[in-house]
Amino acid sequence: MSNTTFAVPRQISRRGFLASSAALGTAMVLPSGAFAQAEGQLLLWLPGGSELFCKIHTGLLEGFSAGASLGAATTVCGLGQDTEFTQSLIGAITAGNPPDISMLWDSPVSLGAQGAFMPLDDMMKGSKIPLETWPAGLLSSCQFKGVTYGLPITAGVYSMWYNEEMFEAKGIPSDRGSFPKTWDEMRKMSKEFTVWDGDKLVSAGFMPNRVPETMAIWSALNGGMMFDETNLKYQIDSEQNIEMMTFFLEWLDEEYKGDFNLVDRSGNFLDGYPNSTTGMGPAFREGRQAGMQSGSWLLGDIFADPVPSFERWNLAANPVGASGSSSVSGTWPNWFVIPVGSKNPQAAFDYLSYLAIEGSVQWYQQIPDVPTNSQVQRKAPAGLVEKRGQAVADDITAFLGEQAAVVTPMWNSPVQSFYTDQIARAVEKIYTKASPVKDALGEAQAATQAELERVLAG
Amino acid sequence: MPITSAPPEAAVLPRRNRKAQRGEARAGVLFALPWIIGMTLFVAIPLVVTFYIAQTKFQIIGAPKWVGMQNYEALWSDPAFWKSAQNTLIFAAISVPVKLIIALGLALLLNRATALSGFYRTVFYLPFLMPAVAGSVVFMLLLTPNAGPVNIALEAMGLNPPDWLLDPKAALWTLILLSLWPLGVETLVFLGGLQNIPKDVSEAADLDSPKRWHKLVWITLPLITPMVLFNLVIGIIYSFQVFTQAIVIGGTTGTPAEATLMYMVVLYRAAFRYFNMGLAAAMATVLFVVVLILTLLIFKTARSWVHYEGGET
Repeated sequence: MSNTTFAVPRQISRRGFLASSAALGTAMVLPSGAFAQAEGQLLLWLPGGSELFCKIHTGLLEGFSAGASLGAATTVCGLGQDTEFTQSLIGAITAGNPPDISMLWDSPVSLGAQGAFMPLDDMMKGSKIPLETWPAGLLSSCQFKGVTYGLPITAGVYSMWYNEEMFEAKGIPSDRGSFPKTWDEMRKMSKEFTVWDGDKLVSAGFMPNRVPETMAIWSALNGGMMFDETNLKYQIDSEQNIEMMTFFLEWLDEEYKGDFNLVDRSGNFLDGYPNSTTGMGPAFREGRQAGMQSGSWLLGDIFADPVPSFERWNLAANPVGASGSSSVSGTWPNWFVIPVGSKNPQAAFDYLSYLAIEGSVQWYQQIPDVPTNSQVQRKAPAGLVEKRGQAVADDITAFLGEQAAVVTPMWNSPVQSFYTDQIARAVEKIYTKASPVKDALGEAQAATQAELERVLAG
Repeated sequence: MPITSAPPEAAVLPRRNRKAQRGEARAGVLFALPWIIGMTLFVAIPLVVTFYIAQTKFQIIGAPKWVGMQNYEALWSDPAFWKSAQNTLIFAAISVPVKLIIALGLALLLNRATALSGFYRTVFYLPFLMPAVAGSVVFMLLLTPNAGPVNIALEAMGLNPPDWLLDPKAALWTLILLSLWPLGVETLVFLGGLQNIPKDVSEAADLDSPKRWHKLVWITLPLITPMVLFNLVIGIIYSFQVFTQAIVIGGTTGTPAEATLMYMVVLYRAAFRYFNMGLAAAMATVLFVVVLILTLLIFKTARSWVHYEGGET
């Protein structure tokens, strides 16, 4: 006789169902811990960028980790730019599971001042990258009340770009030394190039600035500042800034019919890139704009589609305003931070030291974000050498290095995003004549100062 | 004479019945439990936490710090709050009724039995399936001032088209126009109501008056007032929360010149751009109260204008 027994299918009770659900939930949650950051293995987050950008950083981190016997390293690319990335990072920090290192495309000051990032000053002492090896204006973009919350490993450096061939066609000397030194000279020269066909702007010289992020550079060029970091006071409606915006507005009225909408309907005269919404090509690359202020990142993109209709262009120092005394530059850095809660802070800092000196050279050769540490021996980007020759590429690299050393402090406020939005609002109101210059800047000043005081209170 | 009263029904029920009733009640609660848990975890608790955070200084990193009514006071003096509230009110006041009228018109057309009825119903529902971001980008391309097909067509007709999304005077109206595009849900709700109108009532109305608008005003509209109420309440709630189109078109500053700055955009930027969770929570609380009051007012007035077939109001 057989002892075989048969299992009788059992009905699942409600209690059984709930117990099974709980077990299933636990089983799903537990493995997520396995993907968490581990000791000895570096985890790097990047906000965005191209496939090449991701490949470069993955290679740099893997190379460093292998050399330092740190085990497998992970680079997470394309987590979303701007606000989405910051949200992800804050979420990871508050959940206690942040990456060891994160790149930021927005100033680390605001989150650093709130305790989101590790202060780096102690680690920098006696390291390969002490404080004194960084340009002060650049490092201030990572500092608040004397504490360093990040490092501007590389940066896009703002300078004037101009079309040498357009200059020469008008009989204007095209060497860097002859480029306008003052705003008045630039405005006077601009007229030479500006041609309207009815309400269509056929070609233009230079444009009054309307980019909120770079307004701090123009303010410094006019002897002013937007934020007094030492006294924690905004200076948005200072005399120099009122003078600056009045100058821009008069320029707009005189040369561009007082209407940026007409300019925008005629092409993209704002920067050197195609407009992602309207699809309009960049007037500079189309040979319809003699010059503009742009970041050095354009070096990596200018030869891509749409290919410029000319061969020779050059960079020059930013001209000085009526109340200014010397030229300054500005940057949009690639900041690196070590979030609070990193499992490998010392290894993360060692990686930043490597990246600041050796890594940034490799990075710059493939994507022209300018290495900022004073010890770096910069080599010209390969793409630039190929297109413009070694001599021009070396000259531009040297010029950008000089400009990186005269950067005006910017990105140094704990309410940077709020300030940027307020400036954007004021600039729009001024250019659309919705508000007089003084009133628009005054409103921005009052709102931003109030927000600063709110954040700093307590 | 002694006054006697009958014992409660429950008291005379056999014990087995009472036990069965209790078991049934327990089962009912258990079956509803997932919803109750979800409602508690994802609606009730966040709501209470929002009211609490609205009275704190909370920058996400670090613990909230009690500040009382400071966030509400800050809202009161914030020009962006008032500008966005004004834009949102204009948006809601215009887009909701216009949307209802167009959706009703479409539903009346789709209610006609033709060979292509099913096709048209699908076509009118399709825009609702498109993600709002994609839809907004498509409209931005269509309305590009110089190269957009809309302006090219208008110029070809000898008209002088506006800078739809660049001119501060036109941008809010363009946003309202865009909100009228996905009408699928409202139209379907009206269509459902129209198809529920009894045939005998409809035929009797046809016999009483040959004029179609008589039938529409005196028969059709009263019979679909429950659907009007539903679409009105949902429309108001959604219009006060307009976000995706506004942020895609105007960014966090409501370009141009704050013309597209909507309430939810200001709330979003306070929370996730400035990390001022206290202010954002205060804004959310104000919005909650305003929408609640409006909804209650509509329900109160609904007693006088909504017709239910069973006589309920």
